[in-house]
Amino acid sequence: MELSESVQKGFQMLADPRSFDSNAFTLLLRAAFQSLLDAQADEAVLDLKHIDPVVLKHCHAAAATYILEAGKHRADKSTLSTYLEDCKFDRERIELFCTEYQNNKNSLEILLGSIGRSLPHITDVSWRLEYQIKTNQLHRMYRPAYLVTLSVQNTDSPSYPEISFSCSMEQLQDLVGKLKDASKSLERATQL
Amino acid sequence: MLLELSEEHKEHLAFLPQVDSAVVAEFGRIAVEFLRRGANPKIYEGAARKLNVSSDTVQHGVEGLTYLLTESSKLMLYLDNRKEIRTILSELAPSLPSYHNLEWRLDVQLASRSLRQQIKPAVTIKLHLNQNGDHNTKVLQTDPATLLHLVQQLEQALEEMKTNHCRRVVRNIK
Repeated sequence: MELSESVQKGFQMLADPRSFDSNAFTLLLRAAFQSLLDAQADEAVLDLKHIDPVVLKHCHAAAATYILEAGKHRADKSTLSTYLEDCKFDRERIELFCTEYQNNKNSLEILLGSIGRSLPHITDVSWRLEYQIKTNQLHRMYRPAYLVTLSVQNTDSPSYPEISFSCSMEQLQDLVGKLKDASKSLERATQL
Repeated sequence: MLLELSEEHKEHLAFLPQVDSAVVAEFGRIAVEFLRRGANPKIYEGAARKLNVSSDTVQHGVEGLTYLLTESSKLMLYLDNRKEIRTILSELAPSLPSYHNLEWRLDVQLASRSLRQQIKPAVTIKLHLNQNGDHNTKVLQTDPATLLHLVQQLEQALEEMKTNHCRRVVRNIK
């Protein structure tokens, strides 16, 4: 994990009970996690008014940066402890940090895992069965047909939220057969 | 569309069933030659003598056969192409892309720029579609849970064809 001097300085300030008493430390820590994982994180701000806003901002940024880096590299408790010790954190603050980190670890990993480019992702399917009777080109038709619509989510933009196509019963059987093969293959792979 | 022959035409061909197949074969050959190179009176005379009929009869026979051959081939052409013509016409109706094929692949994401040490399974799908003769492919991805959901939903769609309701409709609307 590569961390800048700025992060280290911020942590050193956080370690200092003269800048941050126990209560302030806990509040800032929670605020840091919340600002990353949860949209609404304003409650803590009010109780930290007595601290210089520049310091507050620096420390908050340092904490948030560190949390993200730790999450990205899946840091374990010993890695966290080592770094925090180097920043002159006392035992109590290290424990607090690690507990808070552990509580938020899953959400953090979900968040980090969801960032990134990927192929358009199928989220749902809807279908319609129709019986075609007539067109203006051909007098009589009489054939059943399926209309399948795949709902697709695109990381870039809502460029094509849906893909629709028609198919006959045989074609749909082919499609379903192949999807079932994929799903069986997946099941076998998870048992390895 | 049936092959309609005039009375006169039928008369001209009337003698063919009365002669043996070798003769008919010879007539057929002459008719094809006629198509290729036009009438040849000498051949008619020769045939007339052999068969003990007038050369007019031979000529009419040849011409009748020739007409029969050309009309039949026109009908054959239509019949051969009828299926295709109907298929094309049915496709001219307002249409959506239609399914052609599906390829799939299992992938496991191991890491990304924002998160290391992952095990994230995914199914990558290449969907082949046809529209107005153009072949189109779309590359998509889905997760295992959604894949199971897709299979379940589409199997239900297939089951629907077997219900009494659908069977009745298909049976009665023709």
